[in-house]
Amino acid sequence: MRTLFSDVPRASLTAFYWAFILYLLLPLTLMMAMSFKDANFVAFPIGEWTFDWYVKVMQDKQFLEACLYSIMIAAATTFAATTLGVWIAMLIVAEGIRGQVIIFALACLPAVVPGMISAISLRIFISTIDMPTGTAAIILGHTVHAVPFVVVMALTRLRSMPGNLVDAARDLGADSVVAFFRVTLPYLGPALVGGMIFCVLLSIDDFVRTFFLGGYRPTLPMLIFAKVQGGMSPEINAMATLVLVVTAAVGLYAEFLTRRARTR
Amino acid sequence: MEPVVQFENVTKSYGKHVAVDNLNLSIEGGKFVTLLGPSGCGKSTSLRMLGGFETPTSGRILLSGKDVTKVPPNKRNVNIVFQDYALFPHMSVAKNIAFGLELKGLDNASIHRRVSELLELVQLQDYASRLPAELSGGQRQRVALMRALAPDPDVLLLDEPLSALDAKLRQQMQIELKAIQEKTRKTFMFVTHDQEEALTMSDTIVVMNKGRIEQMGDPHSLYGRPGSVFVANFIGETNLLRSTVVGTEGDVAALSWNGITITANPGGLSPKVGEHLYVVLRPEAIHCSAAEPTSGNRIKGKIRQRVFKGNHTSLMVEVGAGTLLNTLVHPSDVAQLNGEDIWVGWKPETATVIPDRHAHN
Repeated sequence: MRTLFSDVPRASLTAFYWAFILYLLLPLTLMMAMSFKDANFVAFPIGEWTFDWYVKVMQDKQFLEACLYSIMIAAATTFAATTLGVWIAMLIVAEGIRGQVIIFALACLPAVVPGMISAISLRIFISTIDMPTGTAAIILGHTVHAVPFVVVMALTRLRSMPGNLVDAARDLGADSVVAFFRVTLPYLGPALVGGMIFCVLLSIDDFVRTFFLGGYRPTLPMLIFAKVQGGMSPEINAMATLVLVVTAAVGLYAEFLTRRARTR
Repeated sequence: MEPVVQFENVTKSYGKHVAVDNLNLSIEGGKFVTLLGPSGCGKSTSLRMLGGFETPTSGRILLSGKDVTKVPPNKRNVNIVFQDYALFPHMSVAKNIAFGLELKGLDNASIHRRVSELLELVQLQDYASRLPAELSGGQRQRVALMRALAPDPDVLLLDEPLSALDAKLRQQMQIELKAIQEKTRKTFMFVTHDQEEALTMSDTIVVMNKGRIEQMGDPHSLYGRPGSVFVANFIGETNLLRSTVVGTEGDVAALSWNGITITANPGGLSPKVGEHLYVVLRPEAIHCSAAEPTSGNRIKGKIRQRVFKGNHTSLMVEVGAGTLLNTLVHPSDVAQLNGEDIWVGWKPETATVIPDRHAHN
């Protein structure tokens, strides 16, 4: 029985795992490989290899502008979502607050509402209040989406915080504002950095909300989408590869930070 | 001299539960005062009210003569050493200690001087730049103590700060705490449920029970002359002999305890025949011997249990059907008590008599 239940399934578990990894990595690898192809179209065999597409992308004004625009939106989103998220997390752990479960559930709602529904409702909302589509609307949409992630990360860290740290700070002469900035916030530190990076990634990656709320200025995903509509070319592969490498690096760093925060 | 701390008719209740019940307490400066009692007796709540973390339901708290009942914790000149130290994990030892000084607005040079002075007091000079996580339990304890002492509080509050340490370290810290208190001449207000800690360190012990003060006094008088059954039981080991008065003659009362006649000195009490009393008899006051003692109370008994405790042996002696006396015998005397049958005896004046408050038959 032992061998049946421990050894045989383990072999098949391993096999399925590697099949999954292959399925995950193959398209990405293909995409990256094509970005080095010295031809105007995406197809096998690759034949000649080149860096020309990268040079072209780096000189592409449209691409650089879209990058900058995305980063700007991500920065604003991160700032707003982090402030709101920490605020909500503090509210949830505060003593004497009733309905914490409801507060938490409502704060997390944006994470589970389908992006499409959220985007359409926001679009209807901003036109109802006569707010133009564009940067401000995009930031609002992204912020609502990012808040739950900050809340969850900040909350996990806050819950592990000994309650009397703040008491100790108060006892030593700190008012509640000083105690927050000198004790609570540094304690949240690693979790916050992780949460902020998550906000950046969510915002940079977002397509649906941006599509419904955006104006004429394209963000990075919108630009790539527009380019794909015009036909696949290795230039798009190069752009996508750049985005992939940068976001993956940032994401892994965030994971590393939050892991350290959890173990410390 | 004006007392440093005064509780005036302080009551704290949570809904129907009364945690502190009309507390009146005044504490002199420069003393090591311990609030002692079982969990839930209101000692920690009293401490937290003095620290400013709880507001009394009624009554006033005065600190150096000033009413601080409604003053927030950051505006009171008291500091707490928390049970689990509550050191700021992201700050070095020196930064932790400097925290209160910075908020007092001291200049950097004075802060630096004060921090090194305090670190020196507990021999932690070499640990100034360490993080709390890199310290041992005893070192953290010392840092927490120095952090609380740094801003020079009127009273230092200690909320069971030794309970997280192992037995050996705890004893060592008791001596160190007392030494620091004597060196700094600060008023220490220490909360504990451990009677041994209280006896070791305190100038004054305040025994609390059910939100009230049961008895207050120096360790000697509390141990030697407990004023109630609760105090007698809570502090030290004890034999409580519930007896009935059968006769009095001068300041000596003849009592009947489970059919055995004993004599006791009722002190200030004037017991009437038929009244019930408790005789508090400490194990070390009882003398065990093979031969019958010539004076004092003496009862023949059988040794039912011997427990070797290292520096003494504890004997449970049966002196009547099912009636046991807990006695303490020194190693040099144990050898002669090899038989089962022995005599126990004590001088009447070594026992304390407590009235039985609950029964009047």
